Amino acid sequence: MLRPLYSLAYIIARGGRGMAQAPAVQLLAVGTIAVCMLLLGAVVLAWSNAQGVVRAWGLDVPITAYLVDDADPELVEATVRRLRTLPEVADAERVSPEQALRRLSEGLGEDGELLDGLEPSVLPGSIEIHLAPGTDPDFGRALAERLDQQPIVDEVAVAGAWAGRAHDLLQTLGDLALGAGLLVSLACMAIVWSTIRLGVYARRAEIQILRLVGGTRRFVHGPFVFEGMVQGSLGAALAMGILWLGFDAVHPFLERGLSMVFAAGALSFFTPTQVGLGIAFGASLGLLGARAAVAHYAEA
Amino acid sequence: MAIIELTNVTMNYGRGPRRRSALRGVSIGVPEGAFSVLLGPSGAGKSTLLKLVLAMERPEEGTIRVAGRDIHRLRKGSIPYLRRNVGVVFQDFKLLLDATPMENVALALQVLGMPRREVRERAASALCRVELDPRIRRPARCLSGGEQQRVAIARAVAGDPAILLADEPTGNLDPRLTQEIVDVLEGIRRRGTTVLLATHDPLVLDLAPLTQQIHLEHGRVVTLTDPTELSEDDIPEILPASWAGPAEAVA
Ligand SMILES: Nc1ncnc2c1ncn2[C@@H]1O[C@H](COP(=O)(O)OP(=O)(O)O)[C@@H](O)[C@H]1O
Ligand SMILES: [Mg+2]
Repeated sequence: MLRPLYSLAYIIARGGRGMAQAPAVQLLAVGTIAVCMLLLGAVVLAWSNAQGVVRAWGLDVPITAYLVDDADPELVEATVRRLRTLPEVADAERVSPEQALRRLSEGLGEDGELLDGLEPSVLPGSIEIHLAPGTDPDFGRALAERLDQQPIVDEVAVAGAWAGRAHDLLQTLGDLALGAGLLVSLACMAIVWSTIRLGVYARRAEIQILRLVGGTRRFVHGPFVFEGMVQGSLGAALAMGILWLGFDAVHPFLERGLSMVFAAGALSFFTPTQVGLGIAFGASLGLLGARAAVAHYAEA
Repeated sequence: MAIIELTNVTMNYGRGPRRRSALRGVSIGVPEGAFSVLLGPSGAGKSTLLKLVLAMERPEEGTIRVAGRDIHRLRKGSIPYLRRNVGVVFQDFKLLLDATPMENVALALQVLGMPRREVRERAASALCRVELDPRIRRPARCLSGGEQQRVAIARAVAGDPAILLADEPTGNLDPRLTQEIVDVLEGIRRRGTTVLLATHDPLVLDLAPLTQQIHLEHGRVVTLTDPTELSEDDIPEILPASWAGPAEAVA
C-alpha cells in the first residue's frame, strides 16, 4: 500500500545524494538557470507594468464617448449593441461612474487615497470602443463625429497618436516577453539536460544494476528527474529573489523621477501567486529537460 | 512443470559479416525446484541463454517461457517485474564498488518499494545466508573475489526470487571455495528457489547436488539429462545431516 511512498522517499533521497556528490555542477546549473530566468522575469515584469500604466492612462481605449448625466440606460445599451455589430469595432463596453472611480483610484496608486469619500456620480459614465486591428484612422474619426451627435453623448475623446505608440510599445514588450520565454525555456532545459547527462554518466553502473534487479523506469529515472526539478525551481526562485531586490531598489526612482508617467505606487512586483507560478515554471522546465536527458542517455 | 522453458531458440549477435551465432535451436526445460547446471566451453552460448531468460536480449527465433509466460511478448514496462522474480549473479558480479555489501544488497530491495527497516533486515539476512557479516563497512572494491561473489549472490536472492541464475559463479575459485559457493547455492535452492548455474568447469558437476545437466556446445544442446533420468547415485547427499536431524528426532 505504502510502496509508492517508500519509492518516492528513495527517489528523493537518491536524487539529493546525487546532487550533493557534485555540488559545483549543481551551483553552476542553478546559477545559469537563475540568470536566464532573471532576464525573462525582467521582461515580463516590464511588460506587466507597462500594461498597468497604459490602462491607468486610458491609452488602451482609442475612443471614449462620455455620456450625459441623465442618459437613458436602454438607449445606452442599444448604442453599445449597435456598435458591436460593426466589423471595425473589436469591442464596445459601458463603463459606469463607479467603475470609472475605481480605475482612477487604481491608476493613482498610493495617491488613490485622495479620492476617498468622493461620490462616483461626479464622474460621467462612458462607452469605451476598441477598434479592430488595422482599422483606418479615418473610420475612428468619422465614428467619433457620429457618436458626438447622439443625444445621450456629451463628449467624445479620441486618443491621439500617443495611444498608438503606447500600443505598439506594449506589443513589442509582449513579443519580447514571448521570445524571451521561448529562448529561456530552451536554455534552461539545455542546462538541465547537460547536468543530467553528467549524472547519468557518473552513475551508469548503478543504473545498469537497478535495471537488472527489477527497478522500474520510474524508479531508475526518478532521482534524475527530481534533480532537474530542484535545479529549475531553485534557479527560478533565485531569479525571483534577485528581481525583487532590483525592483525594490529601482521603483522609487522611477516613480519619483518619472512622476509624469508613473504615479507613486503604480509600479508593482509580481503577486505571490505569480511568483509561485514562476517557480513552478522553472520546475517544469527542469522536469522536461531532465526527463528528456535521462530517457536519451540512460536508455541507450 | 518447467519453470524455465526454451523452445527452438536461435540467437545471433551482429549483422552481415560480423554476425555470430550464439544459440541454435535450443530447447530445454528447467523443472521448478531444480539445481540445474548448464555446462559448456567458453563461447558455447551459456551467458547468452541466461540473458535471454532475463529479457536482456531477444531471441531471433523460438519462445522463452518463465513460469508459463512468454517473456518476449511482455510489455517493456513489465520486464522489471519479471526480473524481480529472477535473481542473477553475473560473471563480473556487477557490484557498486564504492558501496558496502549491505548497500549493494539493499539496492535490490529498494526497487521493491520496501520501508528502510525492512530493507536493512532482509539485506542482513541475505548476507547471513551467504555467510558474510552484514556489519562489514568496507566498500566492495576492498573485498576478496570470493567475498564479492557472495555479495552478488546475496543481492540476487534478497528478494526471494523464484529463480536464481548464476553465470560462472565459481569462475576463478579454487576447488574448496567452489564447493563453498555450490553449497551456498544449494542452501538457496532448498528454500524453494530454482537454481540454474552456468559453468565451463566440469568439476562443478561433481560438487553440485544437481538434478539436471544441460551440455551446450557451439550454441547447441548436446546432452540434456532430465531429473527423471537421473539415477539415485547421481543425486549426491541432497539430504545431509540437517535434514536427517529432525527425522531422527521424530523416530
Ligand atoms: N555482445 C556480444 N556481441 C557479439 N557477440 C557476442 C556477444 N556476446 C556473446 N557473443 C558471442 O556469442 C557466442 C556465445 O557467447 P556467450 O553466450 O558469452 O558464451 P559463454 O557464456 O558460453 O562463454 C560467442 O561466440 C561470443 O563470441
Ligand atoms: Mg559466459
